[in-house]
Amino acid sequence: MDHKEKNTEQLQEQEHISSYKEHFGTWAALILLTLMTVFVSAFGADLSTLTVATAMLIATVKALAVALYFMHLKYEAKIYRAWLIVVMALFVFFLFMVILDYLTR
Amino acid sequence: MEHAFVLPNSGHNWDAKSSKMGMWLFLFTELLLFGGLFLVYMVYRALNPDAFLIASFELNVYMGTVNTLVLLTSSMTIAMAITALQKGNVKLAITLSWLTILAAIAFLVIKYFEWGSKFEHGLFPGMDHYDSLPLGERLYFYLYFFMTGLHALHVIVGGIFIGVVIYFMRTGHVNKDKISLLENSGLYWHLVDLIWIYLFPLFYLIH
Repeated sequence: MDHKEKNTEQLQEQEHISSYKEHFGTWAALILLTLMTVFVSAFGADLSTLTVATAMLIATVKALAVALYFMHLKYEAKIYRAWLIVVMALFVFFLFMVILDYLTR
Repeated sequence: MEHAFVLPNSGHNWDAKSSKMGMWLFLFTELLLFGGLFLVYMVYRALNPDAFLIASFELNVYMGTVNTLVLLTSSMTIAMAITALQKGNVKLAITLSWLTILAAIAFLVIKYFEWGSKFEHGLFPGMDHYDSLPLGERLYFYLYFFMTGLHALHVIVGGIFIGVVIYFMRTGHVNKDKISLLENSGLYWHLVDLIWIYLFPLFYLIH
């Protein structure tokens, strides 16, 4: 019994309920950013490398919005963000190894 | 002899925290799976920039944009379903989950028409037109079919997962105090959305 009570107490502590409004706001921002990328690519055809960079930057902002708000990462324990940083660091490491490989062939 | 020792979880093998952690660990492996494919894409695009540009004109930007909007909206509905269940509104949670599945089906139908028109043009690897293309364009279409195909597979799995959770919400196994399964299906669905956020500009918006 003691354990059960403790368990529910902890759960209530950690549980954060996001409001409908917050989700709607995140959605509106994501839609806006999507339309922005489409317009950048449609009208910025001359700035080839710049558009790739812009598209990736906007995509990353969108991904962060999904992770932080839709996936509740903002309200999770720190360990989740730490894990994510480790995984991203691993990916960046792979990225550099691949670039190094191709540049030194 | 008396046995005073009792397992802390006697009577119920449910642990919301570890359930969520396990899901996140799985999602990280998924990120690295697609991450590897994005590296392949990066190398071949860097080696064949013009071919990738020409090949990308075959894709329909309007359909791609609509599909992006559909996925983003479905991400919102499943996130709201979790809010609804946390507040104890099971009916609304089920309705919002159904809306998410509907969006998944809409996404797949649009994808079906997109792929269908590529098949008509003989652009699937192994078809005559595909074989006659220069190497760079072949690589583009190969990656296009492989990556959007693997993504579509995740859409199907995510839709089925949410369907199973709807069944458990109806039977009461997933409820206000036990939201783990709905939460995890939501996390999986958001991952599907996350990957599409990168696939869309990389394949449809090359300029």
